[in-house]
Amino acid sequence: MSIENLSSQTKNTTTILLNCFINDNEIVLEVPATYRLVDILRKKLDLTGTKISCEVGRCGACSVLMNGNLVNSCLLMAYQIQGSSINTIEYMSKESMNPIQQAFLEEGALQCGYCTPGMVMALKSLLSTNPSPSLEEIEIALSGNLCRCTGYNGIIRAVSRYIENSQSS
Amino acid sequence: MELNRKHSKRWFVRPDGAKKVTGQLKYLTDLTFPNMLYGRILRSGIPHAKIMSINTEKALRLCGVRAVLTYKDIPGLNGFGLIFPDQPVFCKDIVRFEGDAIAAVAADTDEIAAAAIKLIDVEYQPLTVMDSPEVALSNESISLHPSGNVLHRAEYKTIEDDEINQVFFSCHNVIEETYHTPRQMHAYMETEGGVVVPEKDGSITVYAATQHGFKDRMQLSRILNMDEKNIRVVSSPIGGSFGGKDELNVQPYASLLALTTNRPVKIHQKRNDSVIAGLKRHPMKITMKTGVDEKGKILAHVVRIVADTGAYATLGPAVLDFAVEHATGPYIIPNVNVEGVSVYTNNGISGEFRGFGGNQITFALESQLDRLAESLNISQYDIRLLNLRKTNDLGPLGQRIVPTNGAFDVLEQINHSSILNKPFSQTENRKLKGSGLAITMHGGGLGYGRPDPSGGRLALTKEGKIEIAFGFEEVGQGLIGSIEIMMIEELGCSKDDISIVIGDTGLVPPSGSSTASRSTNMAWQGIRTMKNPWLRELLSNASIVTEEKVENLKMGPGGIWSIDDDVTVPIITYKKLAQSLINLPTITSQYDFPTTPDPIVGGHYLYSFGAIAVEVEVDKLTGKVKVTDVEHTIAAGPVVNPMGFLGQIEGGGIMALGFTIMEDSLMDSGKYVTRNFDSYLIPTIKDIPSHTKVNAIETLVEGDHFGPRGVGEIGTVAVAPAIIAAIHDATGYWVNKLPISPEEILNALTKQNKGLFNQQSKELI
Repeated sequence: MSIENLSSQTKNTTTILLNCFINDNEIVLEVPATYRLVDILRKKLDLTGTKISCEVGRCGACSVLMNGNLVNSCLLMAYQIQGSSINTIEYMSKESMNPIQQAFLEEGALQCGYCTPGMVMALKSLLSTNPSPSLEEIEIALSGNLCRCTGYNGIIRAVSRYIENSQSS
Repeated sequence: MELNRKHSKRWFVRPDGAKKVTGQLKYLTDLTFPNMLYGRILRSGIPHAKIMSINTEKALRLCGVRAVLTYKDIPGLNGFGLIFPDQPVFCKDIVRFEGDAIAAVAADTDEIAAAAIKLIDVEYQPLTVMDSPEVALSNESISLHPSGNVLHRAEYKTIEDDEINQVFFSCHNVIEETYHTPRQMHAYMETEGGVVVPEKDGSITVYAATQHGFKDRMQLSRILNMDEKNIRVVSSPIGGSFGGKDELNVQPYASLLALTTNRPVKIHQKRNDSVIAGLKRHPMKITMKTGVDEKGKILAHVVRIVADTGAYATLGPAVLDFAVEHATGPYIIPNVNVEGVSVYTNNGISGEFRGFGGNQITFALESQLDRLAESLNISQYDIRLLNLRKTNDLGPLGQRIVPTNGAFDVLEQINHSSILNKPFSQTENRKLKGSGLAITMHGGGLGYGRPDPSGGRLALTKEGKIEIAFGFEEVGQGLIGSIEIMMIEELGCSKDDISIVIGDTGLVPPSGSSTASRSTNMAWQGIRTMKNPWLRELLSNASIVTEEKVENLKMGPGGIWSIDDDVTVPIITYKKLAQSLINLPTITSQYDFPTTPDPIVGGHYLYSFGAIAVEVEVDKLTGKVKVTDVEHTIAAGPVVNPMGFLGQIEGGGIMALGFTIMEDSLMDSGKYVTRNFDSYLIPTIKDIPSHTKVNAIETLVEGDHFGPRGVGEIGTVAVAPAIIAAIHDATGYWVNKLPISPEEILNALTKQNKGLFNQQSKELI
């Protein structure tokens, strides 16, 4: 059975009362236990900054942070996120634009932009624990995020710029 | 000039960037509307069959299902296709490929729609699958279309078949090879989708990605039997396209469902549907026979191209024409004989894809040159230099083209690349290193004989904005940024004064498709054409309102300024001016992409040039190829938007790297084997070279007033042969089939005793 089919069940679906924090807001939702996090975000909460693309955990477009860890929201189901804290791309610029996002803008590290939220989340995860990563560490951290437009060069430049900016400030 | 942040004076943050990096931008697949339904499409899942029956009763009975539609429910033409509408919206009696649509469902939720699709019973009688052009052209094959299985033939010959053989006899060296290229997938991150909203007045608004809103509207009008003026197509922003969203995809289904249910209907295809129904790059089998004299001057060139176009035509004929045109590339060859055929099969549909047939043919052509150079013991550079077209030479189809030195310029510059001039130390036991180059010449616009019009509108709005409107789409290429830069520089206003309107047939003039590397040039021409007459009107109006002499006025940031140097504020702001006027200055224009005066169908007039140098590392143990360094030199006229230009070349280069070393939409008996990114692998950040350099040559021949050429495709075209040349440099082995197979490389290394795996002892050495 494919992942998608799990959330396609219409009969005999066990629902749960999901209680979690999304971008610091407490959420209470009655959803099928196997409803995917990406659908909760996009369909139930209209948080469409989290993108949907491959739905098999390969492209990283739907990346979010769960309790601070990078996850593919297409692979997590409602029952697995019970009680957790989820942060999405919308959280990153809640008050002002995050310096990672600023670096993406300045270096032109985006084109169609569809992979960008996932890229930003992956970098947030990396840079929170390792503020000065090597090129190899950057590559490993972003290897789960596909981009078809930029060729990744701009993204690497953006990370370098972010590191430069954060070291000089 | 090396393109980067440091050297570029116009390095501006793109206007659509902030919304993209913060996730605020609503792509059309992110939209929802009140009372919205979800749609799904039932695809045949089998490549060739007769449809015996379609039963939708069970699906209709499912709670929450609002409509189930089949061919019976199409009010107008049951067909679409940009040129030939030969692809059925819904199949009636024959299925020609795995992605053929049979029915569509609208339901209260996406989950119910998915469940309903499974309840539709279709009875098929399978037919023999024609899974290659050879099978489709054989005598036993049945015809997929009334005209047979040949979609299109194209040729360009300066000499007949029998005569060219005589020339080969006189050649010093002749190389004949057959090249194969893969069925590359566009792999845009945003799959096809959108929402169609029925409006109160009976019209519909189609929010769905396309590269040509007006062509969508025309086709939807035929399908829906609805006046075009009742269809509004909103078509930007787009999460990647690369040619793959130029044809209709979900629009007919969502429109039919919306009209039937009278509710907004959203369809967002799953990756699996996108893979089986979406277009791919034409796989081509190209045989080339090329002969040279003892110095390396090419005397004769015979080319035979067989393209697998899949089940329906889409732009197959034009892609083949393009490949035929570019079969001689930037070289002047006295005796040319090129034939191509594009063949219908039961495979997935091939259509438009960045490079448009140029990538396949350039891989073959440049590889031929390298083999010939090797056979004569001369360099890659020397053989090209000897055969290059000169400034005023005719184009590759014998047509007049805009004079250009692009070919010499890019070849000269790339030859100085550090990649080609560094000595390799082959000390690391496991890796072989090599370098190579390739060049290309790529036509922009649709070519002679194909309507290629464009239009724009420049206006002062009631709100005091200077509004520029085009029918182009922002597919990610950075067109909005480019338009903003051109507006600021041409008009002297500020970024905040400008309102850019694109991608909405309700608001913009028809501008043609955002394809064929044409949008930047067309926008540039539009702004240039409209600027002076509009400015005269604006300033004369300003003169009346301000009672200043018109000759003392000019446009500037925020408003109309006095030409005096010592003023610090405008005489009147645009807003005040707009409020003071009854008739706001507005100008529209219609113009065409420049075409050759010679009546040669498909022949181009403006060409851009690209050269690429690459360094590779071949792993002797695994046979895997890693591209470790890349340098591009592009000659495409003035650089309008350095950030966008750089992104297009870097991104295109990596897309072509995928084409060369990893990507292939594998099909088995007409069914896709690689159906998602877990099996269809595109380059990740780990697969790219550690270094990439992009140079732009901006000079044009004196008197060339055609301005910037587009760069959407040129960065992809010559990457493959450059990598192949580098692999040969590293290993001595020539690859003829893409993507490169590590097994093939390993076998070659073993044969040459260069591998790490010793055939006799079966042990690592």
